[in-house]
Amino acid sequence: MYACRGVTLTVRRKEFLGILGPSGSGKSSLLYLLSGLKAPSEGDVTVEGQSLKAMNDDQRSRMRLKRFGFVFQQPYLLGYLNALENVRIAAPQGSSDSRAFELLDRLGLGEKWRRRPHELSGGERQRVCVARALLAQPQVIFADEPTASLDHKNGEAVVSMLNQHRADGSLVMVTHDVSMLAEADRIVHLVDGELQEAAV
Amino acid sequence: MALTEAVEEKRKRVTSSSTATIRVWPLSPFVYLSRNSGKTIPLIGVIFMAVMLVSSIIALIDSIPFSVRSIYQYSKVMLGVSPRGDPSETPKILAEIRKTAPVPIERIMLCRVSSAQVDSIVGKFPFPMIGLSRPDMQYYLQKLHVNHIEGRLPTPGEPEALVSTPVAKNLDLHIYNPNEPHKLRDKSIVLSPDKQDSYSPRYVKVVGIADTPYWVMVNPIEYQRAYHFPPIDLGLVYAKNQKDQDTLGMWGVKHFEKRHAQLFAYYQIEKQTKTMFKTLYTILDVVTAALAVMITLMMAMLMNIYQSQRLIEFGLLQAVGYTRGQLLRRVFWESAIVVAAGWLLGVGGAQALLAIANAVLTAPRAFQIDSFDPVAFKYTAPLPIAILVVAGLTVWWRFHRFDPVSIVERRLV
Repeated sequence: MYACRGVTLTVRRKEFLGILGPSGSGKSSLLYLLSGLKAPSEGDVTVEGQSLKAMNDDQRSRMRLKRFGFVFQQPYLLGYLNALENVRIAAPQGSSDSRAFELLDRLGLGEKWRRRPHELSGGERQRVCVARALLAQPQVIFADEPTASLDHKNGEAVVSMLNQHRADGSLVMVTHDVSMLAEADRIVHLVDGELQEAAV
Repeated sequence: MALTEAVEEKRKRVTSSSTATIRVWPLSPFVYLSRNSGKTIPLIGVIFMAVMLVSSIIALIDSIPFSVRSIYQYSKVMLGVSPRGDPSETPKILAEIRKTAPVPIERIMLCRVSSAQVDSIVGKFPFPMIGLSRPDMQYYLQKLHVNHIEGRLPTPGEPEALVSTPVAKNLDLHIYNPNEPHKLRDKSIVLSPDKQDSYSPRYVKVVGIADTPYWVMVNPIEYQRAYHFPPIDLGLVYAKNQKDQDTLGMWGVKHFEKRHAQLFAYYQIEKQTKTMFKTLYTILDVVTAALAVMITLMMAMLMNIYQSQRLIEFGLLQAVGYTRGQLLRRVFWESAIVVAAGWLLGVGGAQALLAIANAVLTAPRAFQIDSFDPVAFKYTAPLPIAILVVAGLTVWWRFHRFDPVSIVERRLV
């Protein structure tokens, strides 16, 4: 059984790429393959000519920390850290505290930086995750159904924030809700692990 | 991107009001440990209790040989010579020692010995009341660093004795005062016809207490010759310094082996103490090892449970880009801090406990407990090491098989 088969896909610089597909179509698996969280059984993923397959586990991890940002379905935060500290973990030690605060402020959490995750709503927690993904100014942000645990309004707000604040980074977002891809530059459809069509 | 003025102002306000919060790296082990005190404190508490328990037990057991060495420490400065029941042998043995000893002899003196007893933490120990002539008594006390005597030296021929401070404390003795009530006067009798263990035909009164850490009981040799059996003079042989004294002791015991003489040197006490408690220490080794295994398994289970509760954290951190090595190192340092804190607190707690026990229970009776006993702390060393190794291996094993995708995909949570 294959999660994805015969997929050839290029993520262009600065683009917002939407990967659309029904539940179980292999969207998340594709995202994990693209981001180096999983290794393909066949084929390869290259980032600016560097093969992820040729890298060892630690090299792939370092690449994720330096060059990629992640927003997952669930707003995973560390319960013993406040919002600001949860953002700071995404950047190597010594990164600017003020940038973490700036991001939180821009995402409307400037007054709540000291709060722990349990003191924030679901939407606020996902916004902290967005700030965390943006902190290191990654080349690519991978978002795996980032609106799945949010209501529609909050979901749209999160996607919009990701899109607005990604600067020069690309955004690859997986979703089954096409309305969340209104701002996407390109959308690809995935059905049963195979790329069906592409639309601009 | 330049910050807007408003953001910059807010940032300054935030950073100035929480400098400490912001400067600490959020993934520092100290941050996790201090903010999860509900987990940290029980872990430290278990190690603390285990270390305190082990070191206290060992210090208490160790106090037995320590008591033996302390009580008989006075024999370190001399070589005792006994003719094995034949009084005519004493002068011959002493003459031979003077003639053939490998080191210069400073003084040889005759003494008589009657038996008394002192109390120890594990019961009564025999202790000699040494009968000496006045000049020999002065020399004997000088060799034991007595600079001050409360009261006076015993009068030659009289049923009087001088004891040292530890002996006075141990037997609750004070200087005889004829004006005090009869009941209190009993506390100044060191040997008496009523005492089975410290017998003398007459009541031997304490007339002086010597200020020295050595355990000392001396009385006039004339009294011992007149009232005590057997009528045998023993010899005490002194070298010029401690190094020579040790050489003399070793030589003397070996030289007179299997002959009509018995020689007593301090090194024999040390040797016998070690032999005597060998079995006890073997049992202690087994008990400590069993305890260490039990505590280690318990701690490993506890740490394993706590690490299981952190799967989301580890999955998230690995997913965003922290390597297994970085996460392992972080958990290792967290464990090391917990174990070190528990061990240090345990060692400190044991010292405090023993110091209190010493002050309240043992010091007033001059019983010997070493609250800074290095052997006791050596016995606790396997605990933190074993816990750290097992905890490290457990976490390593977890990470070895850990897939962060299972967390972010919510397959494991």
